[in-house]
Amino acid sequence: MQHETLANAEDMGSPDGVLLPVPPVRLGRDAPYAKYALGAAYDEMFSADGDVREHCAALHGRLATLPPEELIRRQQACEQSFLQQGITFTVYSDKQATERIIPTDLLPRLVTADEWERIDRGLTQRIRALNMFLRDIYTDGRVLKDGVVPRPMIYGSKHYRREMRGLPVPHGAYVNVCGTDLVRREDGAFVVLEDNLRVPSGVSYMLANREVVRRAFPGVFRAAGVRAIDHYPQELLATLKSLAPFQEDVSIAVLTPGVFNSAYFEHAFLARQMGVELVEGRDLLINDNVVFARTTSGLKRIDVIYRRVDDDFIDPLIFREDSSLGVPGIFNAYRAGNVVIANALGTGVADDKAVYAYVPRLIRYYLSEEPILDNVETYLCREPKQLGYVLANLDKLVVKAVGESGGYGMLVGPHASLAERDAFAQKLKADPENYIAQPTIQLSTAPTFVDGGVEARHVDLRPFILHGEKTTIVPGGLTRVALRRGSLVVNSSQGGGSKDTWVLSA
Amino acid sequence: MLSRVADSLYWMARYLERAEHTSRLIAVKLESMIEQSTADAEASWARVAVALATDGVTADADDIFAITQRLAFDRDNPSSLLSSLRMARDNARQVREQLSTEVWEHLNRLYLRLQPVTIQSTWVHQPARVFRESLEELQTLEGVTFSTLRHGEGWHFLELGRYIERAQLVSRLLDIHFGVDAPGYAAPPPPPKYLDWLVLLKFCTAFEPYCKEYTAAIRPERIAEFLLFDPEFPHSVKFAVDRVRDALARVAPGAPPSRRAACERLAGRLKAAVDFGQIDELIGGSIDPFLVEITHQCEQIHEAVYAAYIAYGAETVL
Repeated sequence: MQHETLANAEDMGSPDGVLLPVPPVRLGRDAPYAKYALGAAYDEMFSADGDVREHCAALHGRLATLPPEELIRRQQACEQSFLQQGITFTVYSDKQATERIIPTDLLPRLVTADEWERIDRGLTQRIRALNMFLRDIYTDGRVLKDGVVPRPMIYGSKHYRREMRGLPVPHGAYVNVCGTDLVRREDGAFVVLEDNLRVPSGVSYMLANREVVRRAFPGVFRAAGVRAIDHYPQELLATLKSLAPFQEDVSIAVLTPGVFNSAYFEHAFLARQMGVELVEGRDLLINDNVVFARTTSGLKRIDVIYRRVDDDFIDPLIFREDSSLGVPGIFNAYRAGNVVIANALGTGVADDKAVYAYVPRLIRYYLSEEPILDNVETYLCREPKQLGYVLANLDKLVVKAVGESGGYGMLVGPHASLAERDAFAQKLKADPENYIAQPTIQLSTAPTFVDGGVEARHVDLRPFILHGEKTTIVPGGLTRVALRRGSLVVNSSQGGGSKDTWVLSA
Repeated sequence: MLSRVADSLYWMARYLERAEHTSRLIAVKLESMIEQSTADAEASWARVAVALATDGVTADADDIFAITQRLAFDRDNPSSLLSSLRMARDNARQVREQLSTEVWEHLNRLYLRLQPVTIQSTWVHQPARVFRESLEELQTLEGVTFSTLRHGEGWHFLELGRYIERAQLVSRLLDIHFGVDAPGYAAPPPPPKYLDWLVLLKFCTAFEPYCKEYTAAIRPERIAEFLLFDPEFPHSVKFAVDRVRDALARVAPGAPPSRRAACERLAGRLKAAVDFGQIDELIGGSIDPFLVEITHQCEQIHEAVYAAYIAYGAETVL
């Protein structure tokens, strides 16, 4: 304890975040950067010739002056803090249920003010276009009549909900909470890899990471001028409130699948931070098309539900009848306009990987603007010419199934054997509409704490966009990191961790 | 307050009370046995085993290791210390957003700290120590709860659970020490001796408060009177019953009188029983039915609370 106080006091004392004169540190030679290797990917801290990027200088210097055992101690303090707070997910093996934390890397990932300004404008533009698209395909279908998007791609999608046709949605905002995955190309530009428009998770990690990493580097944090993210829960509450038909005494609830869901911590966290009820399906009942929660004093009406339950499970009368997580009759209450459900149902049709390829065209179509953030180049296997290209270049491409997420159902060409590629080619030819292909993207690398030293690991960035009456993006996001050397897979289900993200104010 | 939330808070408090009671009984017993003969220690351990066995299964009285293992660390025993803590924490996790960070983290830390403990690791040095520590942590948790939670409806459900459980646990302990045909034995153990009465007081953290009231003269009927009827001692049955009644008056503030009636009538009846009970009448031989009746009435209150506030059918309120 004594040591911690000293270290922090020392850290706090510095006006510029650097206390001791920084010894000359050679990349790839001196601790803690002895094992730091620059590759083809853009690196967040170092330019291609190994110079430290200006906005990272303070952090770079601080790391060079801290002894490895001190870094290890701070990393352990982080992990201990997560365990005590119960920020864990449960792994079930044969008999034992063990709780694990999602690894958090001690070192923050920095985003400059200019970079963020572009991201903010780009994501705002994108969410507007996606919401206009959703309203269009659930009402007039203008975009289909105009032939901008092929009709079968929408009506044939398993995420298209016929039940939503013609239903009015407040402010035309179908997607109220969106988590968009961004990656950096080799040239350093941020591009969109994926939109998550259903029930995106991870925002609690964004907030929890900030709590612990701020404590680990208080001096650098203060000197860097990091923009605040703590107001996310208030912004979320304001967004949900703006969806209600009236503004006095709006009764809001977060609907969770329950304590066994891997994101349960996040659901409880958001409900507590917003000061609203956390409910499970079994707490709710419908009478006369109105949603009520069963309370000790009787029934309480619910006006807005931030649901963290998938479409399929929300109402066993309309969707999957074997679901015990949902509320029988809630869809009729929704249809009657007696409750708002956020995100609206049926938003998944717009984040499938085939629609993704059309988003730049959708932005031009609805907004008459050029997309601010590019997509990753994408080949649609449903178009014969592009399929031909994909089949001829399988060894260079990543092929993904349209409806899957979380890194499942995909082929990473450069890492696959000839036999695997041949087998996948057969699947492609049999069902081309179900696949898209993209070049392998070298996600940017960021300094990551590994075995007492600092090494380069691949990262992405998921900012969270709130959209109700207006659009709000809290300056930050969840940076996911592939902890294995060379790996490009950042998903937490496959060995990924996360980092705090510092958006700088200047 | 959501009915499910009230349910979890109520059970969280019950399990914490049970964990505290279990920790204290084992700690006191481990510390006091060195002053007893083998036969007396066995009889005394048998009482502890019966007092804490909710399912009627007890280990052999001559095997202290096995008894402690079963009561403290046996994960398959639903009322063991570790099981109680796990259940308390599971319930707390389900209502995480209703608790303060301080309460949750304190409980979670205690749980994480005790989960890996085994009897083998405690038995080497001062076996009582881990139970003393657990006791202290649980008492601290009670203080943290008192000072960081709003004393609103959720708090009153915690109080309700804690004191219903306490009334039952103390009644059972008294029954085992005073009862003519105490439950749960194959062959009745010999009647308690002087040291056993002292230990009984310590089981209820009552030794010092008792001495202040009655001096150090250890007289069984005065002990029974103190643990049953003292209005100011937190571990007496009367104190617990008063808190149950207070809590019931404050939960579900929006419920109409018709829905409150059953709970309030039952709580009032139980309060009357302990308000007007006389120790001299009971010691004559009617203490068994009296204690059994208290436990039974606590169960009735539990059921009435469920029917009125937790598991009611929607048709009863629409």
